[in-house]
Amino acid sequence: MTRPFDALREQLLGAAESLAGGPAALPEILAGIVDDVDHALREPLEIFPVCHHSPASALAMLRRLREKQPTVIYLELCEDLQPLLTELRNCRLPVALQAFASQLDGFPKESAPLSVIAPITEASAEYQAIAYALETPGVELVLVDRSTDHVFQWQPDVSSPAGTPEPEEDLHGDAVGVEIGDLRPRFAELEEHLLHHGRVRHWSEWWEQYVEQPLAGADHETYRQVMVLIGSLFRRLAPHDTRRYAGDEDRERYMWTRIREHLATSGADPADCLYICGAFHAASRVPEAGSAPGTPDFAITPRTGTTWLYGLIPSSHSAIEAQFGLAPGSVSIAAANWRKQLGRLRLTPFRLDGQKGGGRKKTLPAPAAASGPVTDHLSGYLAGPPALDGLDEEELRGWCVDIVRLARRNGYLASTADAIAVFETSILLAGMRGRVRPTPYDFQDAAVTCIEKDSVPGRRDVRRLCEILLGGDRIGQVGYDALPPLARDVYDRLGPLGLNLEQRSIQRALLDLAARPELAACSQLLWMLRYLLPDQAVRPIMGSRRLGEKHIQESWDLDLGRNQRAVIELGYEGVTVEQVLEQRLRRDAWDPKATAATALKAVENSLLFLESPRLTDELGARAIELLAAERTVDDAPDVLRRIRRLLAHYRATTPVLPAWCERFVTEGYAHYCTLLPTAFVEEETGVRQVGAMLGFLFGMESLALSLGCDRTQLEIAVRQSHPESPAKIALLWAARHQLGALPLADLRVRVDELLGNPLVVPAFPQYVSGFVQALEPVPRLAPFVVETLSKAFGRLPDPVLLPWLPNLITTLRQQAAELVPVLTREAGRTFPGGLAALDAWTPPWKAPPRRRPSAGPAGPADPVAVLLRANRMVPDAVVALFGCEGDWTPVETGLPAGSGGDGVAVAGLLTAYPRAAEAVADLVCP
Amino acid sequence: MSDMLRAPAEVKYAEELDWLESVDDGPKPFSWRLSPKMVRLFILGSERADGLDREISQKWFGDRSFVERAIVTLASDRGLLLIGDPGTGKSWLAELLAAAISRNSTLVVQGTAGTTEDHIKYSWNVSMVIAKGQSRASMIPSPIMTAMEGGVIGRFEELTRSTSDVQDALISILSEKYVSIPELDDDNIVFAKPGFSIIATANSRDRGVNDLSSALKRRFNFVRIPVVTNRKSEAEIVRFRTEELLRRHNIELEVPPTLLDVLLQSFADLRAAAAGAGSDDERLESALSTAEQIGVLEDAILHSNFFGARELTAETLASSLVGSLARRSPEDLAILNKYWHGVVEPRSKEQSGEWTGFLEGGRQAIATLS
Repeated sequence: MTRPFDALREQLLGAAESLAGGPAALPEILAGIVDDVDHALREPLEIFPVCHHSPASALAMLRRLREKQPTVIYLELCEDLQPLLTELRNCRLPVALQAFASQLDGFPKESAPLSVIAPITEASAEYQAIAYALETPGVELVLVDRSTDHVFQWQPDVSSPAGTPEPEEDLHGDAVGVEIGDLRPRFAELEEHLLHHGRVRHWSEWWEQYVEQPLAGADHETYRQVMVLIGSLFRRLAPHDTRRYAGDEDRERYMWTRIREHLATSGADPADCLYICGAFHAASRVPEAGSAPGTPDFAITPRTGTTWLYGLIPSSHSAIEAQFGLAPGSVSIAAANWRKQLGRLRLTPFRLDGQKGGGRKKTLPAPAAASGPVTDHLSGYLAGPPALDGLDEEELRGWCVDIVRLARRNGYLASTADAIAVFETSILLAGMRGRVRPTPYDFQDAAVTCIEKDSVPGRRDVRRLCEILLGGDRIGQVGYDALPPLARDVYDRLGPLGLNLEQRSIQRALLDLAARPELAACSQLLWMLRYLLPDQAVRPIMGSRRLGEKHIQESWDLDLGRNQRAVIELGYEGVTVEQVLEQRLRRDAWDPKATAATALKAVENSLLFLESPRLTDELGARAIELLAAERTVDDAPDVLRRIRRLLAHYRATTPVLPAWCERFVTEGYAHYCTLLPTAFVEEETGVRQVGAMLGFLFGMESLALSLGCDRTQLEIAVRQSHPESPAKIALLWAARHQLGALPLADLRVRVDELLGNPLVVPAFPQYVSGFVQALEPVPRLAPFVVETLSKAFGRLPDPVLLPWLPNLITTLRQQAAELVPVLTREAGRTFPGGLAALDAWTPPWKAPPRRRPSAGPAGPADPVAVLLRANRMVPDAVVALFGCEGDWTPVETGLPAGSGGDGVAVAGLLTAYPRAAEAVADLVCP
Repeated sequence: MSDMLRAPAEVKYAEELDWLESVDDGPKPFSWRLSPKMVRLFILGSERADGLDREISQKWFGDRSFVERAIVTLASDRGLLLIGDPGTGKSWLAELLAAAISRNSTLVVQGTAGTTEDHIKYSWNVSMVIAKGQSRASMIPSPIMTAMEGGVIGRFEELTRSTSDVQDALISILSEKYVSIPELDDDNIVFAKPGFSIIATANSRDRGVNDLSSALKRRFNFVRIPVVTNRKSEAEIVRFRTEELLRRHNIELEVPPTLLDVLLQSFADLRAAAAGAGSDDERLESALSTAEQIGVLEDAILHSNFFGARELTAETLASSLVGSLARRSPEDLAILNKYWHGVVEPRSKEQSGEWTGFLEGGRQAIATLS
């Protein structure tokens, strides 16, 4: 029996023989591809091979659907995405079908969230099939490819792409892309070879020239045979021992198994069905391929327990190009070609209801009769050169004029002369590359040659402008009805702002909260979105949200149109923004790496964004738990800052402190007291951290003591501390001073001794650093710090002082909020305000001690003095308690002690009111 | 051996050009000696698919589209300006283009701060003017004017180094395509014949010194030649130029491929370091171009041939590299010292081979210079 392709097979085998020097596998490959075509065409279920972003595929699909009008369409697309397809009606293409999972079960937790996207463009064969199936009654569309769960089961090591893409290319985030009909040489050398000999630079360009154009007007049989042939060629030349190849074969087994299942259950006649898959899969020879009953099935593994959520996200041509490694502009050019071919062939594409041009249903002509036996259409295609279009002067002229106009608008000094030059250069370039009609890429090269000079004046260069001109990036949009509940809720709640939030430009929202209090809810939502969405989505221009602040006006830059994906992906996490926020705050606080500071931050955010005392209490309790478990004090400055702010907020707004706050203070007091001696000694703990610990202990002391803490704990902790580094020693002195164990005079003496000892002088700046850190825990030491700094500047030699200065400046800069106001205020008080006063100025610490106005010996001493003098023990004890010194001033007494009227009066007074005297007695001798 | 130290491309490849001309049946613009496709073939070399009886070697290494764009520019109405970093092969491409198109690549004006309008248009033989008065005979045409008269390609090297007013003398030449000689009463216009065009080169590092006027920019098509970063192409270029050098000097010396790898790797490392450097002090002054690599290898070869054991060693290569790249002391030396200790030393421990000798040679050279 002769087969339709026997002649071609003979011819190819003859060619293989004549190339005897070629690889030994050549005859096998050449005969194999013909066999593959033959095999695919014999399949009773019609296989329709497609290639992605190929207008020729889409045209052939459109014509085939009108002609055949199948009742069942099997489509190579993840089967679990099926329910989403009807939602495409509410969208502006291109959009991407997305499956998203953040709660993983069966996959490594660290790879969360998992996301798969399948972009759909208008100029694609699959969209034609989807639109036909959904809009024609009685037609069933069945997605047969492995589920998104299997995508990850079969591809376990999913790594996120490196590098930061352009904003418009980042519409898909780091999702894994799946696409129908990925047809490209599987090894680099083959692609390189084809590009080199085709005199083209990109794969898309080669495809357009050698496949797309010749096939654009081809009949169905030629199209089908050629596509299977190309699929088979790439398949046979692909490395067979890769995981990718094995995955492809598994997918084919999967799809055919699903098709057979459906055929068996639905009882559909394979002759009325159409199976749409990539040309690579159309040439499949796996044993499981085929619609005949009895073909071996593929054992489909169950899905994991991961819960997948589904939705649509906006996509764009450039995002698709970036994701699938296509030449920039190729998808746009394909879309432009599709529109052009539709016009040329006077065809009306299938469109979904709700889409532009959809809804106008024309009745389809009666289906054509089944075609006759398969005949060889390949020989003709392979024998002749590609039938390229002739020069379309009108089109080229249009491009040239438009590019010059566009370039001028983008800052180039382009003129009509340039348009002429681009025209001429395009034709010359195309001629050099062996074609009559310049391809869009030739035109692009010509435009770059003629218009691009030494610098790019604006944001876009000529290459990019050409891409815009030849189709422009098209960005899809997901319609309101297809949005998840959260996203719809966001749009509804922002409704009072009266802005078109779907527009892809920045919208300025002005919120006059005093005049329109109803906008407060919008403001609240915006602040929540600000916390949840990427930085550029919502941005406050005026206004801030901090504890204790309330604004009467706010203005915002909203860019939700361009960040629709982010809003939609929030929708996978919860039903309302509040719920998502609560989850995020909990996640932060219960993260294994969370610290007390992060938990306090979550507490603060919960107060700012959510009015939920229950959540705040839980987070606060978590903060206590974390603090108690901490063994380092690295976060002490942060903890101190945050708890101070929270205490201030509660004191101002609530009559009593919440219980968690009180517990935090008491726990913190005990915790830091325990860690203080170690922190003073450990080298890894910085002086700033120790300063912050002391700040907590001294600053919260009164509250802690009132809540039942014991001061002796702190005193003992300080006594146990024996730091060795100078900065920490200075800090310890400050602490002891605060506790009353080290009077200022002693401190001054110690500092002077240090300055006077030439062996210690090089380390003196470090002591000063310690004192500077002491400003926060012991603010009353400020005059002394100013004094020490002045002495350091005045007396330290330059080689010691100068290397330390940058250190001081950076410290002050880093801790500007805490240190600088105290220091400058004190310095302002100490130093003279004007230059003139400087000459006569003496530093207060050098000024002779002020003499107290003493009573003096003149005149008779008053009776109290006489009394005290008579009972010296009591005043001496009080004085010693307060750490003062002094001598008794000699008094001339006119009367012996205890005698005289006044003495009697005093004695009488004390006897009449004994409580004061008893209290003093108790104080002195407890 | 040729009696020219360096023969221009049309002399060096005369035989190849003759043969190409004899088999060329493609359409030729103006008075071109070769069709555009053949010009491309001459520059980029032939392949089996071209179906030629003999092999044509590749002479310029870079993206094919740059060459195509350059050729079509010359076939159009505009001049060609090749712009790029030093050492990217702009002048070599210009020379090859002129040789292939008009068999004369020597009509060159070198742009400097001292270039005047006379160098672009014409000047006078003063003694002849005194003796016979001003006439066409006493006029000295510039290379550009000669190119106009002959309908061939004229070249202007380093266009941006000459001052703006001198550059602007090209405007009328490029748009009106003639030069008038007001000193003469008759026969006072030199018209350009078909086929005339100008290839200029400009160094992108000189940008801003003497910026081109917009009017002149408009008359040139710019083709930017990037620095070669592809390791394979770079190896090819270095090998090609080195072979040429060895031939020119009649030196029989073999460059071991492993040593070439060491050179390429060290340049790649230094380029990466320069790209990551924060200030000019942390960056070598050299542009680290391919031409610089060829220079280093050339030095090493000559040194080995005349002073060494007629064998290229890693030590010689290292000292040549240090000698060529250390221009500023102490900045460049410090960078090289850091490189030698931080990168070459660990690598010699890991890979040994040529790297060991390279480490030693470099260390000694740095020590000598420090």
